[in-house]
Amino acid sequence: MSDHPTDFQGDILEAIRESVKKALPDAVVDVHGGNGHYTLAVTSQGFAGKGPVDSQRLVYGAIAHLMKGDRAPVHAVDSLKTKVPS
Amino acid sequence: MTLSDAVKSQIEGTLEKSRVVLFMKGNKHFPQCGFSAQVVKILGDVGVAFDTVNVLQNAELRDGIKAYTDWPTIPQLYVDKKFVGGCDIVKELFASGELHALLGKEKAAPEKVAPPKIALSEGAKKALVAADDGSGDTLRLEINAEFQYDLYFGPKEQTDIETTADGVLVRMDAETAKRANGMSIDWVEAQGGAFKIDNPNEPPRVRALSVEELKAMMDKGEKLVLVDVRTSGERDLAKIQGAKHLETSEAEIAALDKDTVLVFQCHHGMRSRNAAELYLRKGFRKVWNLEGGIDAWSIKVDTNVPRY
Repeated sequence: MSDHPTDFQGDILEAIRESVKKALPDAVVDVHGGNGHYTLAVTSQGFAGKGPVDSQRLVYGAIAHLMKGDRAPVHAVDSLKTKVPS
Repeated sequence: MTLSDAVKSQIEGTLEKSRVVLFMKGNKHFPQCGFSAQVVKILGDVGVAFDTVNVLQNAELRDGIKAYTDWPTIPQLYVDKKFVGGCDIVKELFASGELHALLGKEKAAPEKVAPPKIALSEGAKKALVAADDGSGDTLRLEINAEFQYDLYFGPKEQTDIETTADGVLVRMDAETAKRANGMSIDWVEAQGGAFKIDNPNEPPRVRALSVEELKAMMDKGEKLVLVDVRTSGERDLAKIQGAKHLETSEAEIAALDKDTVLVFQCHHGMRSRNAAELYLRKGFRKVWNLEGGIDAWSIKVDTNVPRY
């Protein structure tokens, strides 16, 4: 795996979780990964009635600021799953 | 992300021309990113004609398509001028059969894939059991076409193949199952711990070994041949105990069984990588390159070995 340097200071996993929860307060966010690559599974009522594209847009929108630029803390989202709580 | 009128009409022109368009990195014959490659493979499996647009050839288009779709990642699949999704969504739609329906193709009956045999070492088993947070998520294994591995806890999928590896339940998709049969997962304590995977299905390639991992393997008494590719002058300055000198042992190494574990080492890890590639071509299957070379060894493992 290649290195992805970033200027970001602090806990990136926590920053991702916080950002998603800001957009979707009821969300259960499972995030793991490192070195620029992250895997997310988000469960929220906010996805109810939405297709996969709109659901993922909500999540991507919430973490867009972490994905901006070449030295962004989040270089790639390896996998993003969205679910409505059952 | 910006979208000029020129790029916008270029995108719309492309979508006008072809029913199925994939904006990707590379082209369908040489995808230059794993996610793009997965979508190309899926479209091939569905058996539909599609056009690709290589966003790496045009920085403006690369940004433009993200703005046009309001989607931050590549690849992006369009069908009938409508955005379908990125890699994850396409994978899901493919698994559920919705992608076939969208593209007007019959989904072939699901191929029966036998649960693979996977062996876990005691250490790996302990690490996995300790990592289970009891949330009900299941241990999942993913092996992509490039034999990159992912081992994580995640939700169960309908199309999963299940196997029990030394008492631990592991779930995976059918493609992974086909690539996993006969593999073993071990745990190395070095650097806070890491899984070490041995998979007979993997095409041979040079794998990276850290100095800490090498130390751990040596301490465990694992069978390996450490090959020093440096000049004799450099060996006079510093060497790792037990390393064979390639220059003087070439014939001896070439005569070894092709399943011998060979670890190549130089000063910083560049020359040894070339040597490792060469021995791979000679037919050796378990070839490692010591990343950082003897210099990393001096810094991290044995400070008695002088640096130069």
